[in-house]
Amino acid sequence: MSNMIEVKDLVLVYSNGTKAVDHISFNVKKGDFFGFLGPNGAGKSTTIKVLTTLLKKTSGSVNIAGYDLDRDAKEIRKMIGVQSQETAVDGDLTGRENLMLQGHFQQMPTKKLKERVDELLKLVNLENVADKRARNYSGGMKKRLDLATTLVHRPQLLFLDEPTTGLDPQSRSAIWEYLEKLNKEEKTTMFLTTQYMEEADRLCKSLAIIDVGKIVASGSPTELKQQLGADSIQINLKNCTKDKTTAINLLKSLTGVSDINESGDCLTVFAKNASKLIADIVRALDSLGISLSGVSFSTATLDDVYLKKTGKRIRPEELVRAPSTFGRRRR
Amino acid sequence: MTLLSDTRYIFVRYIKKLIRNPILLFFSLFQPIIFLVLFTQLFEKFANVPGFPAGSYLIFATPGILLQNAFGSALQSGNSIVSDFDTGYLQKMLVTPVSRYAILLGRLTSDAFRVLVQSSIILALAYLLGATPVTGILGVILMLLTIAFFGLAWSGISLAIGLKTKSSETVFAFGSFLTFPLLFMSTALTPLDFMPSWIQTVSMFNPISYTVDAVRVLMINGFVAHTILSAYLVIGLVAVVTLGSTLYLFRKVVS
Repeated sequence: MSNMIEVKDLVLVYSNGTKAVDHISFNVKKGDFFGFLGPNGAGKSTTIKVLTTLLKKTSGSVNIAGYDLDRDAKEIRKMIGVQSQETAVDGDLTGRENLMLQGHFQQMPTKKLKERVDELLKLVNLENVADKRARNYSGGMKKRLDLATTLVHRPQLLFLDEPTTGLDPQSRSAIWEYLEKLNKEEKTTMFLTTQYMEEADRLCKSLAIIDVGKIVASGSPTELKQQLGADSIQINLKNCTKDKTTAINLLKSLTGVSDINESGDCLTVFAKNASKLIADIVRALDSLGISLSGVSFSTATLDDVYLKKTGKRIRPEELVRAPSTFGRRRR
Repeated sequence: MTLLSDTRYIFVRYIKKLIRNPILLFFSLFQPIIFLVLFTQLFEKFANVPGFPAGSYLIFATPGILLQNAFGSALQSGNSIVSDFDTGYLQKMLVTPVSRYAILLGRLTSDAFRVLVQSSIILALAYLLGATPVTGILGVILMLLTIAFFGLAWSGISLAIGLKTKSSETVFAFGSFLTFPLLFMSTALTPLDFMPSWIQTVSMFNPISYTVDAVRVLMINGFVAHTILSAYLVIGLVAVVTLGSTLYLFRKVVS
C-alpha cells in the first residue's frame, strides 16, 4: 500500500443543508507533502475535520493508512497528528505540561514520553521556557508549542490547517524548516492547507485546489504552473536594432519556444520551461556572436494558477507581497 | 483501564487550572463569606422568634449558604466546555484516542472537587464563628459528600446548556438567573413555617430544599435517616435528568 490517504466520492452536507464537500476524490502517497488549497469556505477545513474523525461524512469512503474511517476511527486517531487553525494550547499549563498531557492522551508510557517531550522542546526551541505557563508565550512560541504537541506520539500522518497564518515571517520560516525536516527525516506524510501560495510552493510536492466543495485542479506545483502555459524570458541585446532579426530567426528554431514578441527592452520569448531553455538561448546567441546585455525570466506562479482555477485572488495582503516574478525559480 | 487514567489526566488538568487562577476561587468564595459573616449578623434576632428551629441563625443558615455556593459554582461549570470548544482544545482532545467519556467525567469530578474545597472552607469559617455540627466529623464528611453530589447533579444542567448553545454568556446568564429565585424559594435561609404559604408550596417542589434539610439535620439534629435519604433520592433524580441530557448532547458533539 503506497497511499496514506484514499478519499473517494466524499460528500459532506451540514445539517442546515449546506453542501460543504461535493464528491471529492484524491489520494495522498506515503511520505508525500500534500497541499490542499482553496479560498475561505471552499471546504478545506471541513475535509480535514472529516479525515481527522471530528465530523461524520455524509457519504463516500475514506481510508487512512489502510484503516477505514467508519470502522477504525480509534486506530486512525492513534497515528495522526492534527494542528488546527486555532492555536489550541492550554495557557494555564506550562509548555512541558501541555506536551505531557497530549502524550498521555496518546497513551504513551510515561518514561518514553518524558524523553520525547525533552526532545521536542529542544526541536521547537522552547527549552528555556518549558516550565513557564504557555499563557505568557508569544504568538510564534505558542504556535511552535502547538505543533510540538501534535508530534508527541510520532504520527505517521500530520494534518496542518493553516499552520502559519498570522505569524511573522521569522516564525513562519522556522515552522517551514521543522515541517520540511519532519517530512524528509521522519518520513511523516503531510497534509497541509494554506492560503499562502508561497508556502504551498515551497513545501508541497503535490497539490489539490478546491473551490466550492469540488477539486478543480491537482498535480505538483510545477505541473500546475506548466499547465498554465508559458514562462517568459526577457532578452536584452547589446545592439538590438542590428541583431534583432538574426536573433528572432535563431530563437524560433529552438525547441520549446512557443512565441516571441518584440518588447520594450528588446525581445520577450515565451516558453513552457524557461529555466531549462535559458542556457540554450544564451549558448545559441553566443555561437553567432550576438552579445547580450541582460537576460531575465519570470515563471508562472501558483498565484496565477489559483486565480485561473478559482477565479479568486488570495487574501488582499498576499497580493501586496506576491512572490516577485524576477530572479531564480523557486522550487 | 483508559477511561480511569484518562479521567485522571483531565481531572488533574482542570485542578491545575483552578489552582493557578486562585483569584477566581477567591471571588467565588467572596459571596458565601459575606453571607456567612454579614447576612447572618443581620438576621441574628430571627433566632429569638418563637418556633425558630435552631439555636442561632448562623447555624441555621450555614447549610443554606453551603448549598448556595455549590449551586452557583455548579451552574458555571458549562463555561469550561464552552471555553475548551472556543479555544479548539476540545477538538484537540477529540482527535486523540482519549476516552470520550473521560472528557466529561474529568470535568464533573473536578467540579465536585472544587465544591468540596469551597465547602470545607465555608464550614471551617462557620465553625470559627460558632456553628458546631452535632454529628461531629462523621457528620461533616457526610455533609460534604451530600453537597458534592448535589453540585455534580447541577453541573450537568450547565454543561448541557454549554454544549447546546456554545455560548458562555448564556451559561452565565442562566446561572445567575436561576440561583437566587431557587434559593429564596427554598428552606435555605428561612424556616418553612416562616414563609408565606405560596412559597411554602414552591419550596416543597424545590430540590434545593431537600438537600438543605439533609445538611441541616446533620448540623443541628443528628443522623436523621429519612431526611438524608430523601435528599439523595431527589439529587439522584436531578442527576439522571441533567446528566442524561448532558450525555445526549455530548454524544452529538463528539460523534
